[in-house]
Amino acid sequence: MIYKSLILRVLLLLVFLPGATLMAQEANIAEGNTLFKNNCASCHNKNMKDDLTGPALGGVEERWADYPQEDLYSWIRNSQALIATGHPRANELFNDWGKSVMNSFTQLSDDQIANILAYIDFKYNEVPAGPDGPKEDGVVSESDNSTMFTAIVIGLIALILVLMRVASKLNVMVKVESGEELAPERTLFDILTSKSMIATFVLIAVVAGGSMMADKAISLGRQQGYMPDQPIKFSHATHAGLNKVDCNYCHDGARRSKHSVIPAANTCMNCHKAIKKGSTYGTAELTKIFASVGFDPKAGTYIEDYESMDVKEIEVLFKSWIESQSEADSPEKKAAQAEEEWDAIVASLTNDRKDDFRGPIEWIRIHNLPDHVYFNHAQHVTVGKVECENCHGKIEEMEVVEQYSPLSMGWCINCHRKTEVQFDGNEYYKSYENYHNQLSNGDREKVTVEEIGGLECQKCHY
Amino acid sequence: MKNNNKEVWIGHNDMNNPELQEQAKQEFVNNIPVVDSMADEKVMESSANRRDFLKYLGFGLGAATVAASCEIPVKRAIPYVVKPDDIVPGVASYYASSFVRGGDFSSVLVKTREGRPIKIEGNSLSPVSHGGTSARAQASVLDLYNTNRIKGPSQAWADLDKEIMGALASANNIRLVGNTNMSPSAKKAMDEFLAAYPAAKAVTYDAVSASGILEANEASFGMATIPSYHFDKADFIISFGADFLGTWISSEEFQYGYVKNRKVDPKAENPTMSHHTQVESYMSLTGSNADNRIMVRPSEQGAAIKAFYNALKGSSMGSELNEKARTALKKLAAKVKSANGKVLVVSGSNNVAEQVVVNAINEMLGSYGNTITFDRASNQRQGIDKNMLDLIAEMKSGKVDAMIVMDANPAYDLPEAKVFAEAMAKVKTSVFMSHVPNETAELCKHIAPTPHYLEAWGDVEPKRGMFSIIQPTISPLFDTRQGEESLLVWASSANLDQSSESPYYDYVKANWEANMFPMQNNFMSFQTFWDKTLHDGVFTAKASEPAVSMVADVNAYLNKIRKPGNGQEIVLFETIAMGAGEYADNPWLQELPDPVSRTTWGNYFGIPISWEGGNSMVTYKNLNQEEYKGNADIVEVSANGVAQNITCIASFGLATDTFSAAMGAGREVVGFAGKNVGTNSMSWLTRDENGNVQYFNGLDAEPKTTGMVDTEFPCVQYHHTFGITGQEDGKEINVDEKTLMTIGEGFQGGLTDRSIIYQANLSDVNDLKKKIAEKRAMAKHLNDATLYPYEEYQEKYYSQGHHWGMAIDLNACLGCGACQVACVAENNVPVVGKEEVSRHHEMTWLRIDRYFFGDHENPNTVYQPMMCQHCDNAPCENVCPVGATNHSSEGLNQMTYNRCIGTRYCANNCPFKVRRLNWYDYTTADLFGGNEIAINGEEVPFGADNLTRMVLNPDVTVRSRGVIEKCSFCVQRIQEGKLAAKKEGRALRDGDVKPACQTACVTGAITFGDFNDENSALAKALDSELNYLVLEETNVQSSVHYSAKIINRDEAIS
Repeated sequence: MIYKSLILRVLLLLVFLPGATLMAQEANIAEGNTLFKNNCASCHNKNMKDDLTGPALGGVEERWADYPQEDLYSWIRNSQALIATGHPRANELFNDWGKSVMNSFTQLSDDQIANILAYIDFKYNEVPAGPDGPKEDGVVSESDNSTMFTAIVIGLIALILVLMRVASKLNVMVKVESGEELAPERTLFDILTSKSMIATFVLIAVVAGGSMMADKAISLGRQQGYMPDQPIKFSHATHAGLNKVDCNYCHDGARRSKHSVIPAANTCMNCHKAIKKGSTYGTAELTKIFASVGFDPKAGTYIEDYESMDVKEIEVLFKSWIESQSEADSPEKKAAQAEEEWDAIVASLTNDRKDDFRGPIEWIRIHNLPDHVYFNHAQHVTVGKVECENCHGKIEEMEVVEQYSPLSMGWCINCHRKTEVQFDGNEYYKSYENYHNQLSNGDREKVTVEEIGGLECQKCHY
Repeated sequence: MKNNNKEVWIGHNDMNNPELQEQAKQEFVNNIPVVDSMADEKVMESSANRRDFLKYLGFGLGAATVAASCEIPVKRAIPYVVKPDDIVPGVASYYASSFVRGGDFSSVLVKTREGRPIKIEGNSLSPVSHGGTSARAQASVLDLYNTNRIKGPSQAWADLDKEIMGALASANNIRLVGNTNMSPSAKKAMDEFLAAYPAAKAVTYDAVSASGILEANEASFGMATIPSYHFDKADFIISFGADFLGTWISSEEFQYGYVKNRKVDPKAENPTMSHHTQVESYMSLTGSNADNRIMVRPSEQGAAIKAFYNALKGSSMGSELNEKARTALKKLAAKVKSANGKVLVVSGSNNVAEQVVVNAINEMLGSYGNTITFDRASNQRQGIDKNMLDLIAEMKSGKVDAMIVMDANPAYDLPEAKVFAEAMAKVKTSVFMSHVPNETAELCKHIAPTPHYLEAWGDVEPKRGMFSIIQPTISPLFDTRQGEESLLVWASSANLDQSSESPYYDYVKANWEANMFPMQNNFMSFQTFWDKTLHDGVFTAKASEPAVSMVADVNAYLNKIRKPGNGQEIVLFETIAMGAGEYADNPWLQELPDPVSRTTWGNYFGIPISWEGGNSMVTYKNLNQEEYKGNADIVEVSANGVAQNITCIASFGLATDTFSAAMGAGREVVGFAGKNVGTNSMSWLTRDENGNVQYFNGLDAEPKTTGMVDTEFPCVQYHHTFGITGQEDGKEINVDEKTLMTIGEGFQGGLTDRSIIYQANLSDVNDLKKKIAEKRAMAKHLNDATLYPYEEYQEKYYSQGHHWGMAIDLNACLGCGACQVACVAENNVPVVGKEEVSRHHEMTWLRIDRYFFGDHENPNTVYQPMMCQHCDNAPCENVCPVGATNHSSEGLNQMTYNRCIGTRYCANNCPFKVRRLNWYDYTTADLFGGNEIAINGEEVPFGADNLTRMVLNPDVTVRSRGVIEKCSFCVQRIQEGKLAAKKEGRALRDGDVKPACQTACVTGAITFGDFNDENSALAKALDSELNYLVLEETNVQSSVHYSAKIINRDEAIS
């Protein structure tokens, strides 16, 4: 008996020991994750496998294995200092990456850097989640039963007609049997032109027409599925999906303002100063940003007095850039490509109100609310902690963005009816004393937006 | 008799009258006025009938539906190229700056959205304006987007500079003409200019001037400065015609001080407040707030000052002054004689002798060093009137070769405007500098436009050592250059770096480094000092009290005081809105009612109204009998030999044989809003023997009736009185009730017994408390029998979260109207124009009701700000057929424009009459041009152009035609305050949410807050026995509380 329990204990210990160390590791990785997000993610890809503004970080420790560990650490803290010492690996890296300077992070401790490296390693070796991975159920989908419904209705109508025919034939037979005089049989034409039939058809037409008109009238001005061509073929699938750039990085108004804000061109330039050629369209799209802000991609600098520069000169500059990047096999083809791309660039950056390609990029607004509706992103994102995709759908899979939600009042109202208010941890909601008492008594499970006045007119209309 | 039995007829007249019979066939007996004014003749002649209309409507609707569903209009989202760090689109930024125009000053915060200024708020750090704003300051943001602004110089800047410098170099006499200039840096620039051109001389004048005071102080103390007046330190305030709460020198500062001593502590056993006597000829804003008014004719003003001086001295008061005023002044003198150092006497007179005697009175009463000090002497009025007389003489003689007019308008606002305009022809080179054109600009050869103050750099020193900064909040909209910069360029100043991006900014900064920075010792580096000053907007240096002693021979001046004139006189006054005409092209100010007369759009000729028994009020020559129907008589008035037509208004509080008219109207070269609005009364001004402008004159003849009627009389209030009393058969009776019976159709019920206004004399406060308690108990008794489950709402909704409410102190409200303009600016409230106001279509969400009470010959006044009362049992909500107005769980009465179909049931059912219908598309939010109207003959309707629209608050919906709107308690500010708290995860603090009217008010008359917050300022304000609800007995459960009006009237003086 004793042995048995001892063996059991040893076995238990053997089982738990790796578990315990594993837990410690996870803690490190979690901290590393936070640190990575805060410090590194704006330049380095989250999947650790692809380059972004900075190189992919997966396997970084192996690449620095020839040097003492401190070298990598000091590179991370202050790369320029290490380069200045003439460190071979540091200088090689700096030159490979077009001498773009990595920010210094002198505040990071050794432990923190170790955690970041642990996270990078973990992420690099992680098996990607399959398509069956857990999904947010925030996106409401409606199943469509209308085909089956129509089939049933048609079937029933056919059945009625058959039965009516049978009944009338039976009637005729009864009359023949009893020797009554037969009324002359009505032809199909007689039936169709009878008063009752016409009245029925008119009624059906009016009802159907009315219902259609009401439907159309309600959907007037709604643009669900609106997917216009934008001046730049900006791909959310590439940025948010593949490169996992955080929504709030570019749309930085969503946290603090009513507008989510279309990012200014200088936000794009944070990364595209280094990435000058796109993965899908090459120079065709990215050059539009450079032409808008006045960035010389060849020299890697902004052009002084761009506003007053001669348009011809600008054209020559960007065309030579496109040619230099072109993969066409002959100089003629390269020139033709440059010509074609440049024309497209000018065409997409100008419109009937803007004749200069310089200056702001005029995007086409997809999500339009009527003027009498007040909507505030910060309220939903920061206070309500609503995920972006609840309203905007799977943006990270959209090559061209479309309006995912109907943005109708009924849609807003439905969400306000269902959504729970984030009472926890927000002192503001302390003023709802009754609800707090009910929650702590167990008389109430949750408080919805509706219950704190989320359906009242002047929450959105003023 | 053969007749058509189907015809409906009443009496034999109808039957035999073919005209009436024809009319009976028509659908409408009268033409519908809307159709009338909207359509041209063709529409009226067309034979389309109702059926056709319905056909077109049906077809039109169908076609519109089809058309609208075909194509979605493409909207663009245009981001910044390089986003400025401190701008978040959708979030407002505030910048400290200063509103300055001539001598008008407010230290302000400018609210900007996406880089455009949309609202002016007060800067509470300012020791001068104390966080308050005037109506003029509130409206100044609209001036920035004035379509009438000068878009660029009369020729290219380089050419202009060359030509002007050439002309100046050869000129023998150069004159710089301007109004009061309070900027130290601008003064420095001017000095540089004067040094560069020894032939140049600066001439400063003010259209409404204090040169009498400046010259009197020079004579009395050897200092030509205006001292600091401390209304908060005075127990007795005596004003001889100085409208210090309205327009005199520094009104916000005086309002702030005045009210400190006027608010009544409801808890005190024997509450105290200051006693204010106003000696005046017409009822000014200040006079309407006074406890006692002593009425003297304008030419008796000097005699009144003299009589008061003699009464204090104990010598004979003479017999020049009318007997009633003399007795009153005698009693007043006896009352204040012993209150040494606690009295403040001010006078609006512009006569040196009168002002010297006022100084002597103050000296006698120990005011200097107590209620009047010289440590913070005011720079707000610097003009000397006779300078302009000299200038005109020089111009006439052809001596003046060059003249630079800086932001002034002498061709309009001088009594000799015509003479000046003629003399301008003899000036070879003339340059005009301002941001808007005016009568003088027309006469100038060169135009060098300046930016609006919201686009400019600068500084102000309104009072000695109290500085304030002007910083731009938007890039200049037009091709303008600051006036100071122009002067420096023409002076070829070495201190101006013309190659700099903003030369005048560098100049101001350098001036501050050299002069203001050494005045303090809190900051070691100039940059930190400068940053702090820009952030705060104000900087106050130390100041010391100079020794003052009276040196003038008072007796000599006593003898110089003029003898009262005989015959009829007219008193001319400056209004809160128009100034001396410089604000005439601001539509917001044109539509701001004058506090006392309640008229808009123009100036009116005040004729006396009285009651002589019977059941009607009597007006001068029985004019204006149909004033309440929007018809006012036009009379011909002549003074200085200038006869002009002017519309009358029946006015209380005019002295015998006195009429009144406002200045600043009848502008000709001005934006559309001011063009030919009212009558130019500046030509009726006169000057005294010292050349100082006198704001009254004798009439050449009796006002002549012309038989003409102004049918668009834009008065916003027709019921003027509330419980005024008079004597009938030896008994005191209520004149309102007596006279109301004949207004309109018969007796309308005992209005004066309703709980609208409560007022009492200070000595009767306890009785008033009892009366209010009784009335409220009665109301409660009535309200207990109700169908509405109010208690249930209270428990279920209002007891948690927020329950918004407001308290208004009628004792602190002086009626200045700043809140009303603030409301217009905040909530995109439309302007409707004169004709529409005359039809009661004004759209203001907040109005100030002005009622007279007490003795009908010399009544007291109460101002009652009236806006949506946000009734928790709102009568408007029950009658809306489409649910467009309903209640929120936070106690707000919500108005939903997109649901409203314009039945106006709610407006009819509102006991407070605060709901407004958009009769036209005043904001041009509509698609159909025919729905838009011009408010004063402008080509593009006001607000239809993109420039004016930049002033709109993007958080508030612009309403279109056919919907009702009303006060929302600034729900956008409530939501903003709540969101800020939620984002920070903290409870909402008292004061986080302040509506626009509250922030505009310098006296703190309006307190907004949450009823559920027991420690709020609102809770403190409500803890008073003087509080009441208007029309409480109707059980509407309104959320706006009023605190009763208390006056400190001395019945012996009147």
